[in-house]
Amino acid sequence: MLPGEFNSSKITLGMILKLGMLGVAGGIASLFALVMLVFVITAWFGMPLGIFSVVGFNHGPTQPIEFPHDVHVNKIGLDCTFCHRTVTDKAAASIPAVGLCITCHKTVGGDKEGVQQLREYYSEGQPIDWIRVHRVPDHVRFVHEAHIRFFSGDKNVVTRVTNPSSQITITDALKIDPNIKEGETITVGASQVCSTCHGDVTSMPKVKQVRPLKMADCVNCHRDNNAPTDCATCHY
Amino acid sequence: MSDNSVKTSGKRKWSMAVDIDKCTGCQACVVACQSENNIPINTEDLFKQRRAIQWIRIERYWEGEFPNAKVRFIPLLCQHCDNAPCEPVCPVYATYHNQEGLNVQVYNRCIGSRLCVNNCPYHIRFFNFWEPSWTDSLKNQLNPDVTVRSRGIMEKCTFCIQRIRRTTRESDKNNQQLKDGDRRLNPACVNACPTDALVFGDLNYVDLDTGEKSKVAKLKEESLSKNGRGYKLMGELGTEPNVTYLKKVDADSGHSSHGGDSSHG
Repeated sequence: MLPGEFNSSKITLGMILKLGMLGVAGGIASLFALVMLVFVITAWFGMPLGIFSVVGFNHGPTQPIEFPHDVHVNKIGLDCTFCHRTVTDKAAASIPAVGLCITCHKTVGGDKEGVQQLREYYSEGQPIDWIRVHRVPDHVRFVHEAHIRFFSGDKNVVTRVTNPSSQITITDALKIDPNIKEGETITVGASQVCSTCHGDVTSMPKVKQVRPLKMADCVNCHRDNNAPTDCATCHY
Repeated sequence: MSDNSVKTSGKRKWSMAVDIDKCTGCQACVVACQSENNIPINTEDLFKQRRAIQWIRIERYWEGEFPNAKVRFIPLLCQHCDNAPCEPVCPVYATYHNQEGLNVQVYNRCIGSRLCVNNCPYHIRFFNFWEPSWTDSLKNQLNPDVTVRSRGIMEKCTFCIQRIRRTTRESDKNNQQLKDGDRRLNPACVNACPTDALVFGDLNYVDLDTGEKSKVAKLKEESLSKNGRGYKLMGELGTEPNVTYLKKVDADSGHSSHGGDSSHG
């Protein structure tokens, strides 16, 4: 045999099949890796608004009692602060005790399944194990009171906000009072600013998180509103 | 909250004064600090390994020979130096100086390189060599306002920043001035001190009603004047600490109780 010549072995059907199978397996593996990568990246940057929210799976957790915010806020007209009592003067918003629910539900809504469950909890003296929806990491100190104080109160209605602590845009003001005009003063109540971060809770059958609540989210808002961005504002 | 209504006397600068003449070495400050700041229990083992964590500690020195031996105490905590040696060596900017004059440690940024502790002349930075643990009976006393530092994180005295943050927020809310010497503002060690050897406050504080300066500012000014008892710990290093020490008054210290300072005993 001369140098440079080579014998190619004959390609059999078996070899083609083996190669094909390897190709398919490799394809599946790389597809799986891609899906995992997209999942991890979206989960990190947009949690919980990740890939699942795109395909419509962004429901909140199923709570032990199906609590309709819609009925309590829109039909009965309760303020957010009526149940989440400490939100205007403490760090945590607080979940009401079963006893607070029972003050009304002793007499009201006995035909509903949720209320019957509630009364059972009350008669057994047990708290309800609500599943927490919004949680920031342990090294973050979030204080509801300071945020609500900043966004609520008397505000001037303007088109362009230069001083966020005393001004509000006309679009936001119209949501609170449809008759408001520019240049007027509007009193923003504590319960009217919750949706800034929590979204429209009344339209959610199961409460879910609508903002990523990652540090970038916090810092962007702090910058926009001239709030301190010193690390020790939240981390200590 | 509107910007102009908040009553402050300008930019804050937190500082502490430690009167060693008043210190009895009772360790109440150490205990208070441990419980306020979620510091893990230091076992005998940890002390032997020199890995015990004490944000404030009492150092004891003997002076002289037996019949005339004297015991000296000095409470040692983070000096919150204006020219802190720990800050420039951090590779990830996990420790820095904030606008209120505090030397801040950002736990979630720290990668545990331990360069800062090597550069600190006071040895008041502590590295978590182990995951912190508490007995079940102590878990309910953990302070929810303070992060529990996990393994591999540097930690140190914060001048109880959680108390500073809470009281400044409350004073903003009520639109009142944050009063000097408020027990809700003072760090846990200052509140615990039975002899008032530790004094904490804002150096730039001016009382809006009486126009008085803060107690710590007065102490610092008086004690660092010509015949005063004040000194900075290892001041010759040029770290410019924010903690002022007032030296002991007795026959051997070369300082009579009449010298320059009104506070003694």
